[in-house]
Amino acid sequence: MTTEVTTPTSIEAADHVVRLRSIGVAFGGLRALDGIDLDVAPGERLAVLGPNGAGKTTLFNVIAGDIRPTTGSVVLCGRDCSHLPSHARPALGVARTYQKTRLFSNLTVEDNLYLAQTGRQRRHLALFVSERDRSLRERAREVAHRVWLGPMVDATVDGLSHGQRRQLEIGMALAAEPDIMLLDEPASGLSRGERERLSELIEALDPAITLLLIEHDMDVALRVADRVVVMADGIIIARGNPDEIRSNTLVHEVYLGREGGR
Amino acid sequence: MNRSWRDLVAVAVVAILVLLPLFGSAFFVEFVMTRTVILGLAASSIVFLSAYGGMVSLAQLLLFGIAGFMVGNAVGEAGSKGLKLGWNAWVAVVFALAVTVAVAALLGALSARTAGIYFLMLTLTYAVIGYYFFGQVTTFSGFGGITGIDAPPWFEGHPVRLYYVCVVLSVVTYVGLRLLVRSPFGMALQGVRDDPVRMASLGFNVALHRTLAFTFAGFIAGVAGVLNIWWNGQIDPTSISIGPTLDLLIIAVIGGIVHLEGAWLGAFVYVMANNYMRNLPFADTIGLTEARFNTVVGLLVLLIMLLSPDGLVGVILRIRTAATGLRGDGGSTSDDASDHQIATADGGPKGPPVPTHTREGSIR
Repeated sequence: MTTEVTTPTSIEAADHVVRLRSIGVAFGGLRALDGIDLDVAPGERLAVLGPNGAGKTTLFNVIAGDIRPTTGSVVLCGRDCSHLPSHARPALGVARTYQKTRLFSNLTVEDNLYLAQTGRQRRHLALFVSERDRSLRERAREVAHRVWLGPMVDATVDGLSHGQRRQLEIGMALAAEPDIMLLDEPASGLSRGERERLSELIEALDPAITLLLIEHDMDVALRVADRVVVMADGIIIARGNPDEIRSNTLVHEVYLGREGGR
Repeated sequence: MNRSWRDLVAVAVVAILVLLPLFGSAFFVEFVMTRTVILGLAASSIVFLSAYGGMVSLAQLLLFGIAGFMVGNAVGEAGSKGLKLGWNAWVAVVFALAVTVAVAALLGALSARTAGIYFLMLTLTYAVIGYYFFGQVTTFSGFGGITGIDAPPWFEGHPVRLYYVCVVLSVVTYVGLRLLVRSPFGMALQGVRDDPVRMASLGFNVALHRTLAFTFAGFIAGVAGVLNIWWNGQIDPTSISIGPTLDLLIIAVIGGIVHLEGAWLGAFVYVMANNYMRNLPFADTIGLTEARFNTVVGLLVLLIMLLSPDGLVGVILRIRTAATGLRGDGGSTSDDASDHQIATADGGPKGPPVPTHTREGSIR
């Protein structure tokens, strides 16, 4: 497994934390992504919109390293990560959530949030529980409270409802204290009240955190985003601030029209 | 089951094992129970990998055998098979465990990227390769095996000492594994079991964790293999062929492959059935002879799989839960709920473990 990292000039690194250049991903004959160029500035809140199958999650998978792009380069915090495996990327400050929850179903909420931290803390291989683990567990419980899972902190994930699992997904990303947070449809399957709380939670995030958000719910997405890119069929069809996107006719045609503009 | 109850049972069982030589017959202690504890130790490496790492390994008996063959090669002298190095018995132990751990690390690294059924098949392949290796490479053994291997002189004439060493090492392993699974490494391993993709995106090197867990389980199997060669005095490739390989997995399944205790409980049932089945009342009339041993064990496994996927330990837990429910009447529901939770938190998917883990295969 290659883990070498080339360091480009630091001048480049200052104005963006995510830089994608001509990213292409092909699954057999299907081009899931085609020539994506994208820069995200530090602290920016970027919403990625698009109909199902547009390539949004594939884009996240490329940034997080779950998929190696067929073509193009991924630069995170000024380092070329195109060949860096996914497990090496949290060290650069990347944390993500999954559209379909990926949690440790036989472990408790606290255990899940503890593991979310240890990945970056380099405590994977320790054979004894130390003071540091106790403080990480303490923090895990704090994060559980932040995502309204305080009463469920000792329950196993098996016993959580769908909404609670979604809350824990976001907790997993929060617990990692990332610089770049990728949220993949955090509001899917949530009730109106839960979406409201979620929007508040996202708005209350540390402004230093760069946020990329995939969201079908236009209200949530346009409320929290500074900038929006709209994807369709593996390419970016529109970029702009939320107001520009609302009034873009092409976006209406391919996305809002079909999705009903909720 | 709450934790104190579990500890109490564990302490009681250890007390019985320690006192056993005072009232048990020499045959029962030195043959039946020593074999039970050795097989339990070997099976615990399967349970550890399966329950906490999500890896059902068929290579554990191979590693057990490698340790045995290495001891045989190292201590053997003129006249016996193998390398005939004639080393000191304790040096041989260090050598055997070093080789076993090295092989386990290599095999673990090779299979670390597979999961579910593919991992199972790969480890089965290791087992078959190992069998033919020791059968055909006569430098190390040959199909006839290595015989006349002596345990270190300290054990000579004191078979009960070997029994005690087996018990002590089993207790150390059991306690050690229970501590290990709560350690940062153990927690990470359980994360890898539940969702390797998530673990990677959290910054864990999944392949490294799997490799280390497999290596550690190989060490446990190797320790059991050394004890076995001291107890048995001989080893041949047939003892690590597919039949015995499956027997060790069956021991783990009978006991309960999601509970560590199950390894030793399963070994006890297996060895007892092996030795005393014909003494059961009416056993002769219905044709239960040694020749029917595999049929009986097969039926037992079938029953376990259908009725209690978490084995005999699961049966005991259910009886205990039911008994608590009867005693406490209505007030016991919360108790039952906590029982349930601790049992799952302790490593147990409630269903049969294999289907749960094959889920991983589809993730890739």
